[in-house]
Amino acid sequence: MTEHWTVAVGVKQVPDDDEVRIDPDTGRLDRASAPAVMNGPDRNALEAALRLRDEVGGRVVAMTMGPPTATDVLEESVAMGCDDALLVSDKAFAGSDTWPTSLTLAKAAEYLDADVVVCGEETTDSSTGQVPPGIAAHNGWAQLTYVEELEPRPEEGRLVARRDVEGGHEVVAADLPAVAAIAYGENEPRPAGLHRKIYAENEFEPEMATAEDLGLDPDEVGIDASPTQVGGMETVAPADRDGEIVDDAAALLDAMRSEEVVP
Amino acid sequence: MTEIDVDEYADVWVFVEEHDGEVAPVSWELLGEARRLADESGEDLVALVIGEDVDDAAEEAVARGADRVLVADDPVFEPYRADPYGAQFRHLVEERQPSIVLIGGTTTGRDFAGRVAVPAHAGLTADCTELDVGEDGLLEARRPAFGGNVLATILCEDHRPQMATIRPGVFEAADRDPDRDGEIESVEVVVTEDETISEVLEREVGDTVDITDADRIVAVGGGCDGDLEPVLELAEALDAELAASREAVDEGWVENSRQVGQTGKTVRPDLYVAVGISGAIQHIEGMQKSGTVVAINNDPNAPIFEHADYGVVGDLFEVCPELADLAREADDPKEVIQ
Repeated sequence: MTEHWTVAVGVKQVPDDDEVRIDPDTGRLDRASAPAVMNGPDRNALEAALRLRDEVGGRVVAMTMGPPTATDVLEESVAMGCDDALLVSDKAFAGSDTWPTSLTLAKAAEYLDADVVVCGEETTDSSTGQVPPGIAAHNGWAQLTYVEELEPRPEEGRLVARRDVEGGHEVVAADLPAVAAIAYGENEPRPAGLHRKIYAENEFEPEMATAEDLGLDPDEVGIDASPTQVGGMETVAPADRDGEIVDDAAALLDAMRSEEVVP
Repeated sequence: MTEIDVDEYADVWVFVEEHDGEVAPVSWELLGEARRLADESGEDLVALVIGEDVDDAAEEAVARGADRVLVADDPVFEPYRADPYGAQFRHLVEERQPSIVLIGGTTTGRDFAGRVAVPAHAGLTADCTELDVGEDGLLEARRPAFGGNVLATILCEDHRPQMATIRPGVFEAADRDPDRDGEIESVEVVVTEDETISEVLEREVGDTVDITDADRIVAVGGGCDGDLEPVLELAEALDAELAASREAVDEGWVENSRQVGQTGKTVRPDLYVAVGISGAIQHIEGMQKSGTVVAINNDPNAPIFEHADYGVVGDLFEVCPELADLAREADDPKEVIQ
């Protein structure tokens, strides 16, 4: 087992969900309405990955699948401390659901010769949480999800995680290579250093890879390889309630009593 | 891409999630909904139980509506790990070819569903809140998207099985009928300990709470700033279960099994008291079916007030203890005598 680890971090550019607007006529997302930002949980993934490198030695490579504009999130990753970055970009990927997306990232992880892949627990735009287990499943690797903390054990060739499970926690060891999905908010992501920032913005160029570079047939990815399709969308606004503002706790209790929901 | 004949796939499967002798309540919710889907399409409802010493769970699955139960019983499955569960489940799916597979959207379900869907090249829809079978026989899996502003219908036309994880609390649990008949089949275990690539070193799991069953809920959000004392006091005084917004869970103040909302649970108590919760759409998603909704927030413009029946604009650190005191006084028989 290698003494130094190559840690690949999956990052994604998403629409800022605080700014997302839905076109009321079509019910579809108006992508132009929202600025593109780094998926929030990915910052926790980057921090967890950088800590692994700091402990074990080796390198951290940020990887993303997306259009050329997704370079922005790779630059941010490099500014935060990643050693390198890979942009996986190809028209063949258009329309990918989680199945080909995780296949593509699984191939990218192999291409980078990664010992560990670290991701955020889910993305804020689709919130499926399926891509990290999907990467592990495509490669037949071990997986650790809902991770609070990672502990590298290079001498054992394993990665140990404290993870969140219903009603408690568990500590799980995974054989390498492994995929870890970090629970949102579980660590304090380090700020980008000024010098790293200048370097990332002015000098750094990510490595580029196409489907072919990763050894993927165009038929294996994109919309044709996606088992799921969106059959329709409807806007749903939860029903507004009266929202009667009362003066104080006493009035609130009276109101609750009038509804017979408290004794 | 290999074409498959979708007509060779039949039956609705439900994964019955069992840990340490306890079945996750979402399993019975899925059996209830899946019974409806199976009856509509004239197919069998099959429950799948994986674990060690899971006879009770298998019998309960029959009582809750399963026509057949497949049981994979072996020490390799206890405690849960993604790789042996995924491998066993995948083997059964490939061997028996179900048309629909439903899995609870718990941390466990979300963890291993992909280890079945990926090798099977199956469609997997996450965190669904509505299910139907269309006229063409396709599963219509509906899930909130774009932060809950949109309900998307996801279809899987050319791949099988049609898999979905379902958010806990969305469906009513299936009634149990101890006299129901069903066939329980012990299946071949295809996983050995030698092949596993993960190991559980420690496990500390207490009693899991089920907020989806609570009649009254007091939920806390970011406004409490990590000080849960006034909220816990109010919950106790109202005899309510504690719940939380995503923010309070992400901050580590409240355990994730108490999270209400798009990535948590759906609740429908008689009374829902939202304390220091701003009311993001993702949260509203999970509590809008509550009876009476009450909000306490110091920001008069917080969206939660639009989704509440009654609200107090005020500091939760003052309003909660006062409300708790008043509620307790009302319970005090001496007050009634006065």
